[in-house]
Amino acid sequence: MNLTVGQELPELVKHPTTRQLVQYAGAQGDFYEIHYDQAYAQSVGLSGVILHGLLKAGFLGQLVTDWLGDRGTLKSFEVSYRGIDQPGRPYRCRGRVTKVDGDQVELEVWGEDSAGNRTTAGTATVEMKG
Amino acid sequence: MSDQLVPSSSGLPAANVSALERLRARIGEAAPSTEATVEAGHLKRFAEAIGDPNPRWTGEAPPTFLVALAPASLHLAEAEEYGKGWLNGGNRFEYFEPVKVGDRITATGRVAEVYEKTGSSGTLLFIIFETDYVNQHGRTVAKLRGTAIRR
Repeated sequence: MNLTVGQELPELVKHPTTRQLVQYAGAQGDFYEIHYDQAYAQSVGLSGVILHGLLKAGFLGQLVTDWLGDRGTLKSFEVSYRGIDQPGRPYRCRGRVTKVDGDQVELEVWGEDSAGNRTTAGTATVEMKG
Repeated sequence: MSDQLVPSSSGLPAANVSALERLRARIGEAAPSTEATVEAGHLKRFAEAIGDPNPRWTGEAPPTFLVALAPASLHLAEAEEYGKGWLNGGNRFEYFEPVKVGDRITATGRVAEVYEKTGSSGTLLFIIFETDYVNQHGRTVAKLRGTAIRR
């Protein structure tokens, strides 16, 4: 294991569609209309349907577990949703190592919209296998 | 309007202030527990919806799956008097044990905090929910802290 502060996780680029939002709504059981009904989304002041925050968290979870593999265990995972994201635009998931303390490793993770804004930001802690 | 009911800084209509007060009275209140078994088919549909092809998720729950297994059952009608819609502000998961196919999970949620924040787009209402997930052996497998926002 050769982890150092500043190391970047291999990025993960997602291409969410409205169809995927419907699929996610069903899988999570979150049928809030702002995620699939354009007219409803506009009636509450949005320009159109938006991604579920938890779908973006799922993308970032995948970023971390793809990188981690079976080398360790995810201990905590936290995300803040700072901006909205719409389907039809690429969503870029990135991360880097921010702290290495023995087998305890902290990561910074974030999701960027197509303009490069960090619309989701978070952290993860992992415990590496000895 | 009474000063006791309407803080001078808020400028909100009385109905909203009382909704806030009524929500605050629910802090600490536990929602009825929900119980569910982790099913392979549900894991598969969840991982497919995220677009995560990792074969590990055929037997084990990916990091955010618990929100799908046992959604919060606390309905806060008071909050819906406030603003036009909900936004998810954030989620924090803590993991203690892997969640596997066949596990029977009991989720118990509660309102932990209620507060207002005024920003550029007006006043927002923040509700912090905490949920504990316990498996069939009585061990806590994960905890979730979620921030719901009314705007």
